[in-house]
Amino acid sequence: MKFRRLVIATHRDVGYFFAGLTVIYAVSGVAVNHIDDWNPNYVIRRDVIEIGALPFGSAVDLGAEVLDRLEIPDEPRSVVRMGPDQLKVFLDQRTLIVALPGGRVVDEHARRRFAFFEVNYLHLNHGKGFWTWFADLYAVGLLVLACTGIFIITGKKGLGGRGRWLLLAGLTIPLAYLLVQVWM
Amino acid sequence: MRAPKERNFSGGNNMKRFLILNVVMCALVALPVLAGEDAEVFGDGVTLTDAVAIDTLLANPDNFVGKTVRVDGVITAVCKKRGCWMQMTDSESGNGVRIKVEDGVIVFPYESMGHEASAQGVFEAIKLTPEQIEARTAAAHNHAEGENCDKNGPKGEGNGAGCDAPVVNEYVYMIRGTGAVIKG
Repeated sequence: MKFRRLVIATHRDVGYFFAGLTVIYAVSGVAVNHIDDWNPNYVIRRDVIEIGALPFGSAVDLGAEVLDRLEIPDEPRSVVRMGPDQLKVFLDQRTLIVALPGGRVVDEHARRRFAFFEVNYLHLNHGKGFWTWFADLYAVGLLVLACTGIFIITGKKGLGGRGRWLLLAGLTIPLAYLLVQVWM
Repeated sequence: MRAPKERNFSGGNNMKRFLILNVVMCALVALPVLAGEDAEVFGDGVTLTDAVAIDTLLANPDNFVGKTVRVDGVITAVCKKRGCWMQMTDSESGNGVRIKVEDGVIVFPYESMGHEASAQGVFEAIKLTPEQIEARTAAAHNHAEGENCDKNGPKGEGNGAGCDAPVVNEYVYMIRGTGAVIKG
């Protein structure tokens, strides 16, 4: 009885502590699983604008002319001439890709996708450092939840009956997938 | 009779101590942010003191293939979904080289575009067949700049640096990046 009470208390407390993080990792997991179909981190919008032929000049002068014609008051972070026929003007969360000398501008705006950027940042451990250790702790927590979870219920619905079959079914799916995709 | 035991296990002083520990951990995480760093270090950072000019690298690639080099320049493109590569460009000549990093190990943010940076890694030259060049060009036209098109485009040959990575004399030159420092 002492063992089961410890199992239940551990499962409950670890479960409460990591519930929020589990939601974060679950949402991000789905988001990055489908990364081929969408950008889970940024919403990027591109507008094409014709501003007319541009004169010859230095990258800085051309950049100023482009900003002037587009009526953008911001100071550019940098202006780089990528080659004879392309100029890039970098602003905060915004890039102007200018075709020279014609003046066709691809105006690219980017913003972090609300909530998804943050959950992906945590889930994919972009920050490293402290988060690596905390994520490791979370992994141990999940292991504890899995190990304690299977011992919470006894009897016909526990490991002695229904629980056993569900446990085996859950293991069979990844093993069958590996068998078909990797081992055969 | 059970309630006092439960309180003893999970409540009272233990919970207070746990909350204090949480606050301390949060403070430790926040300290570097509050310190306000001027430059952000990615991966192993940059240890070489002397940079090779990107123009020199591309003009005499055979002298550098297989060697660890450091380059300085402006970040003019990044992989927008995974942050798994960035293009560094010499702002004077417009010549650029891709810094390809291992997916997930280093993640270059979209916000780094337009910033000055230094990067370090092993310089590689990947020779492409005429068919590969043609396929890459076609794939690049079907994708927005900075988006990975390797899923539908040509695979292999060390690609993964984006199908719009510059091709010079049938070669894609890239640096297998181990670290970078991006200036604020």
